[in-house]
Amino acid sequence: MKRIAYTLLATLIIVLSCKNDDGGTPEPTFGTVALDFKNTINANGIELGTDSYTNASNEVYTISELKYIISNIVLIKANGEEFVYPVDEGYFLINEEVVTSKKISLADINAGEYTKIKFGFGVDQSKYPLNGMTNFIPTAEESGMLWSWSAGYKFIKFEGSYTVNGGTATDFLIHVGSHGTTLDNYKEITIDLPTALKIEESTSPEVAINVDIAKIFDGVNTHSLVTKSDIQVDPVNAPRIAENIATMFTATSVSN
Amino acid sequence: MKLLSYIVFILIGASCSSDKEDYVPIENATLEFKVPANFPEPSYNVSLNPPTEKGFELGKKLFYDGRLSSDGVISCGFCHIQDFAFTHHTHIVSHGVGGALGTRNAQPLHNMAFMKEFTWDGAARHLDLQPIIPITAEVEMNETFSGIITKLENQPEYVKLFSEAFEDQKINPDNILKALSQFMLMMISANTKYDKIERNEGSVFTQEEAAGFALFNSKCASCHQGTLFTDQSYRNNGLPVDPQYNDIGRNRVTGLAEDLYKFKVPSLRNIELTFPYMHDGRLKTLNDVLDHYSDGMVDSETLDPLFKSQNGSLGIPMSAEEKVQIIAFLKTLTDDDFLNDDRFSEF
Repeated sequence: MKRIAYTLLATLIIVLSCKNDDGGTPEPTFGTVALDFKNTINANGIELGTDSYTNASNEVYTISELKYIISNIVLIKANGEEFVYPVDEGYFLINEEVVTSKKISLADINAGEYTKIKFGFGVDQSKYPLNGMTNFIPTAEESGMLWSWSAGYKFIKFEGSYTVNGGTATDFLIHVGSHGTTLDNYKEITIDLPTALKIEESTSPEVAINVDIAKIFDGVNTHSLVTKSDIQVDPVNAPRIAENIATMFTATSVSN
Repeated sequence: MKLLSYIVFILIGASCSSDKEDYVPIENATLEFKVPANFPEPSYNVSLNPPTEKGFELGKKLFYDGRLSSDGVISCGFCHIQDFAFTHHTHIVSHGVGGALGTRNAQPLHNMAFMKEFTWDGAARHLDLQPIIPITAEVEMNETFSGIITKLENQPEYVKLFSEAFEDQKINPDNILKALSQFMLMMISANTKYDKIERNEGSVFTQEEAAGFALFNSKCASCHQGTLFTDQSYRNNGLPVDPQYNDIGRNRVTGLAEDLYKFKVPSLRNIELTFPYMHDGRLKTLNDVLDHYSDGMVDSETLDPLFKSQNGSLGIPMSAEEKVQIIAFLKTLTDDDFLNDDRFSEF
């Protein structure tokens, strides 16, 4: 009987010992965060189709469609330490029309305090092959974000119509992506968080990100629709729009 | 007592099992990807997607499967026929679902591992991305990846093949494209008479071929460079613009005015069989092609400067006899071993 007890004890030890490979170091803990993207103009949420806005070139425009791709999300600590979200799960389509698409939920993030978020606008094809980059195709297909003939993604689809001095409405269409290997319009964007984001096992923090859509026309560059209202594979205007887009994101609040 | 010991053993076994031990390795041998002695290093990083027996088998099955198109009929192999170095024999432009016509001539498939960009205008910058174009183009296969995945998931043989070919076992775009690449990576054509001469394997040119080779080197090789017979650049070779298509060429990809009407310099391997010629298949024979280069060019802003001589004349001067010799040389670039290689055959 004593022998049985020993055997059972030994088994128990083996069972327990097999549970943790690290043996000694504490198990890392993980948490989640939601990034809440709010597309605004003049600090108000945009309304597709109905509301009209005026850009710096005095053109009055309404928006019918607004979609863009966010990728390669990295959370950064004050000491510079980075948590890189798995690239193959890290492509997101923000579609103004679909409420759920505007909240990106990230899971299995190393616990800790983060002060910055870095992400990509578009898809970084120059670093191809990225694992799973093509697994985003079905999402892109569904929402018309695939440039079929160029085997690439549209990073942003921004469409609507505009008028000048109360004249007749003209459609505008802005599609920005990369142009083969000659021009990469992918942008890496780093934003500071107003307060530290605490990732813990038991909480579900959120970061509110304001996306100032007016900056697409009026950011570091000013774009007038009268000059060009159809931007697709445009080596002059597309990079200027992409530069503007890189400035339109701000983190407004962190709720831990 | 004995029973208890058994239980103990089972406990020990179960406690230490991890995913790795549950994983039963499937026999999936890596295929030898061999760079021919006279070839440059491949552009494709083969170590990131090494062709395997199962991956290749899957890629081949996909290549010849009409399920990749919306009507279930048009496969990749429909426009890329092995007997003609994987081109669409006698078809001027490619044919797609429902009889739709494309605007360009299907290019041959061979030595894809050595190419930097794909299609006539370089729209695809990586071999894994190239199939997205014909699969999703309305006038070609007109299908979506979600559609293909649904169809493949309903085929037990595909479920099995994907699980054998890829570690994550998934039927997803990444694996579909990687399998197609594995098939295409293995499609190396390097056993022509020309190759056997270049590698000193005992073949010799006839007098006519040798004369043609010398002429080729002085008149054609600045663009059709090296053993791949292309410098992989984009150039305007003076074809009059066909108003039916008004194909702007490379400009469609870059939007740059300097790229208007430029197309990729194609490889000339197996050129004897890949007729009709040019991006829109407008020239039927090799003789027509050489006639274009000697007498048929039209000037334009982006015409390649190589074709403009100081006296203002356009094109490459060639006599009728020289053309015969050049064509004799071009025919030494036909690779019968490749054209008849069972590994790549549909049946």
